[in-house]
Amino acid sequence: MKDKLSAIFNKGKEKIEKAETIEELQNVKAYLLGKQGLLTDILKSIPNLEVSDRAEIGRLSNKIKRDFTDMIESQREKICLKKSEISEDFDYTVPGIPPSSGALHPITQMCYDLNDTFRSMGFEIFQESDITSELYAFDNLNFPPNHPARESMDTYWLKDYEKECGGKKLCLRPHLTGASVRYMQTHKPPFKFVYPGRVYRNESTDARHERAFFQYEALIVDRKFTFSSGKIMIKSILSKVFGCDVPVRMRVGFFPFVEPGFEIDMSCLVCGGKGCSVCKHVGWIEIMPGGIPHPNVMRAAGLDPNEFTGFYVNIGLDRLVMMRYGVDDVRLFHSADLKFLSQFR
Amino acid sequence: MKVSLNWIKEYVSIPANFDISKLAYDLTMSTVEVEEVRYLSKKFENIVVGSIEEVRVHPNADKLKICKISLGNGEIKEIVCGGNNLKAGMKVAVACPGAMVRWHGAGDLVEIKKVKLRGVESYGMICAASEIGLADLFPSEEGNIVDLSGFDVEMGTNLARALGLDDVILEIDNKSLTNRPDLWGHYGMAREISALYDFPLKKFVPFECPKTSNLKVNLENTQHCLRYIGIKIEGVLVKPSDFEIQRRLWSVGIRPINAIVDITNYVMLATGQPLHAFDADNINGSITVRFAKSSEKMTLLDGKELSLSTEDLVIADEEGPIALAGVMGGKKDSVLPKTNKVILEIANFEPSRIRRTALRYETRTESATRYEKGIDPERCDQALSLAMQMFADIFKDMSVAQFGDNYPKRFLRKEVDVSLDWLERCLGKHIDKSDIINKLSRLGFEIEFNQNIMHVIIPTWRSTGDISIPNDIMEEIARMYGLENFDPTPITISFSEAINQPKIDIDRKIREYLAFRCGMNEIFTYPWINNKYIDALFLNRDEMLSLSAPVSSEECYVRSSLLPNLCKSVAENLRNFNEFSVFESAQVYFNKDFESIYDSRELLPLQRRSIAGAYVGNSENVNSLFRRVKGIVESMPRYVHIEPFTMKKIEKPVWADNVVWLNIIQKSRKVGNLALLSKKASLACGIKNSAALIFEIDMDLLIPCPSRTNKFMHISEYPVTEYDLSLLFDLSVKWQEIFDVVKDIKADNLIQDILFIDEYRGSQVPDGKKSVTFRLKIGSFEKTLTSSEIEGVAAEVIKRLKKDLGAEIRV
Repeated sequence: MKDKLSAIFNKGKEKIEKAETIEELQNVKAYLLGKQGLLTDILKSIPNLEVSDRAEIGRLSNKIKRDFTDMIESQREKICLKKSEISEDFDYTVPGIPPSSGALHPITQMCYDLNDTFRSMGFEIFQESDITSELYAFDNLNFPPNHPARESMDTYWLKDYEKECGGKKLCLRPHLTGASVRYMQTHKPPFKFVYPGRVYRNESTDARHERAFFQYEALIVDRKFTFSSGKIMIKSILSKVFGCDVPVRMRVGFFPFVEPGFEIDMSCLVCGGKGCSVCKHVGWIEIMPGGIPHPNVMRAAGLDPNEFTGFYVNIGLDRLVMMRYGVDDVRLFHSADLKFLSQFR
Repeated sequence: MKVSLNWIKEYVSIPANFDISKLAYDLTMSTVEVEEVRYLSKKFENIVVGSIEEVRVHPNADKLKICKISLGNGEIKEIVCGGNNLKAGMKVAVACPGAMVRWHGAGDLVEIKKVKLRGVESYGMICAASEIGLADLFPSEEGNIVDLSGFDVEMGTNLARALGLDDVILEIDNKSLTNRPDLWGHYGMAREISALYDFPLKKFVPFECPKTSNLKVNLENTQHCLRYIGIKIEGVLVKPSDFEIQRRLWSVGIRPINAIVDITNYVMLATGQPLHAFDADNINGSITVRFAKSSEKMTLLDGKELSLSTEDLVIADEEGPIALAGVMGGKKDSVLPKTNKVILEIANFEPSRIRRTALRYETRTESATRYEKGIDPERCDQALSLAMQMFADIFKDMSVAQFGDNYPKRFLRKEVDVSLDWLERCLGKHIDKSDIINKLSRLGFEIEFNQNIMHVIIPTWRSTGDISIPNDIMEEIARMYGLENFDPTPITISFSEAINQPKIDIDRKIREYLAFRCGMNEIFTYPWINNKYIDALFLNRDEMLSLSAPVSSEECYVRSSLLPNLCKSVAENLRNFNEFSVFESAQVYFNKDFESIYDSRELLPLQRRSIAGAYVGNSENVNSLFRRVKGIVESMPRYVHIEPFTMKKIEKPVWADNVVWLNIIQKSRKVGNLALLSKKASLACGIKNSAALIFEIDMDLLIPCPSRTNKFMHISEYPVTEYDLSLLFDLSVKWQEIFDVVKDIKADNLIQDILFIDEYRGSQVPDGKKSVTFRLKIGSFEKTLTSSEIEGVAAEVIKRLKKDLGAEIRV
């Protein structure tokens, strides 16, 4: 009888260890401990044994039963750890449930990227109003009285407010530089600040021209600042925007409110500077005007141009965003079309 | 502007092997933007001069002939041609295989190939002028081919070389020339190149004034006409000018007309000084430069009839205006076929006057374009020298009958003092005096040093506004030195306080909150709004500012609210989406509260930053849309770090539904609205079958918190039980009332929170009732509560709600 028990034990142990699924284990459990199980049969047969054997066989059988139970339990754990309880057919290709996903306008995103870069360099962020006066839009900025930009075919003038407004006409700001003077008037130099904002030009629109577009102005005023340092600033902005080192060049350009003025070009990222249709085969793309604020602008801001100098750039955000994503029509930015905007999530 | 390199080479000696792309690059970096470098000879590749040896009839075609053509070096080819003027011995332009021509002068360029024409092999094509783009140089009858018999060239010579058209054209961006009036002519460009590379520059020989009677010109206003040279030239006639002159004009895109007109154009393109030739026979009496009389009539050269303004400067004889000064000549005195004496005008006019007149009559001529940039009066001398030289060369019998140089006040060169210390500070580099002298004198500047002050005398051609302050001199030195040759100096950082701009940050935080946390999409719209949406939303036009020249009369107002364009975008997006949410942050403007904020010389209207959003969905889901938008607004202050909002009904927005609306309050001040767009407004905006829940907030009113404001609360060690209750209330009972009643129950401070779960109305509850489900969080900070203690709290809540609000247990 003892041998029989030890054979059952060995056989049972082997079967339990071989069980690879919960189902198999369940079958083994029934086979060993179930109503017609091997061990159950033994236990049932104990009353028929000789009295002297009963106690020992009983004790032994119960021990084996406990051992089996423990072994089955630990085997069950092993199986569970080894294998998922989820069906093999689980479809892991169904799409995830997105978190509620809106988007900032791509221009806002670019603007915030730049804000972060400039703030890390110690620039303040400045905001001003859309509507300004001729004084700040043109007079202060060294635009001669007959400058073409003052014509209504260029600037959105407001109707009939000259009287109320001290003889100065009002307009939707044609550029940001005018309000930069407001900042300079109300802050103590030296200072450095950026001024993102939307500007308005009365012109006909096409894929490359808009009536409302975004500029991003950066201005440094200090007692000593060389224009060549401005190049470092520009390079760091562009490498932030495009995520790589972008070659930059400065060349002579003319803008009424800077002297000297520069056109700032970046190497064409489409062709890597070799020349392609995007860069009109010159390898460079004009991205921003820049320069040293004109002495008359400094004077309008109440600063002595002999004491202070500075550096100024004005980045066309729309153009930069178009390059960043390959957008080919500037009018999409003001379309408020979610088919377009939802791509920038 | 087109600049011919061959023309420039007449004035400056450029080495033969000089790299043109380097020239273009250097000009772009230092002077003006060269947009394109075009090799004219490219157009004439595989087109050569040949001579017709023999012409015979085509066996299979009446109109075609077969020509035997000699192409030099004994090469003879046969070409089938339909030209009317073919004859043996004629020199012609032969397009060989590979050449690009324009069939009959129209359509796209096509490549010439050997082909069979009506069964006869043809090597190439004998070209008509229009087929190779030379119609302006070789005007001829339709169907004729170019006759080159007058040119003494070897057969087989490439056409471009044979005609001297192997030129390089620099296409200059006009915008980059705006502030450089001195560069609006080939001589100016030559002078700049001479300065850049230190190449020798040719000078004009001054014109020796002949002893003749004085041509008197009456200058009524010497402020607007600074100089007027008039020369009466006799013994001229209208004939084509020499081919060299025509070729120059043609290469820069000007059509040759006749010798007299060509001279004036040539001299203008060479010196940048416009000229005009009047037919002397048609001028009655003396010439006066004056302002036009009111509504005075005149007919321009191009036939345009003008009724003049007193702002227009005109050239007049005793009968009336004969030219619009600096813009265009009149028809009456123009050069006609029988002209044999002319009065040549070389004058200087004030720029802005010319610009306004040109704009007024939409006549922006080459002449006006140059005058409006500001030409110096001294330049008349160059033009005079060159023009008289050309008249003498072209008309052997010409004589000067009268001459008058009316130049009341000699133009003075500008002078500027520049401190060398300042220069070094701005450039970040020391440049030797000798180097400065070298570079500036090449540009025509004269320099004297007085210790550390540099006294600069500016050449006349740059004294009309271009150079007037020390910064201009700095730029001249920097660009001559090469902007690329200044090493970047690191930006020095000065430590100061950390930047703290809470007002500025609110805008960004709200936008990021709405986009990233609330899943809304940011939109941009224009500041001008369509009348349709103003009216649809019942907005008050009197509050709005308007544009003086709007894009359309329907969009003349600028916004006092973001809602018109928001609703427009909602209506438009509903074509593609059923459920979405959008917001915009921008300024709005009001026709009131004008103020001088920065400067007493200006008054600015009230302008405020605003943010508005719309949550759009099925109109049956107003409840859930409302709760979402309310949730967005309620949670905003916490995320954005501003003082908290409450919502009350104080003043209904005009565009809002009569029931579903709230005002947003911060520190007892109304800062915005939250409401369902009324059915009437929705329909008028084109929003059908959908509900739009809208919020608008005046961002400038928002009060930022100095820091995060919520306080830490100790965490209870004992369990908290969530206990849900569903009770019936009258439909009129508001959640806020339920909340307030429960909040008021003492219950030993065991009620830690009261949360709204759901509201149900419908067939499961009796008429006039609704079921409200809410959750109590019951727990103690001192012990674990027993179930009877918990039930006790719940029973107390039910009892109080029954008593105060007539609640019933749902059965």
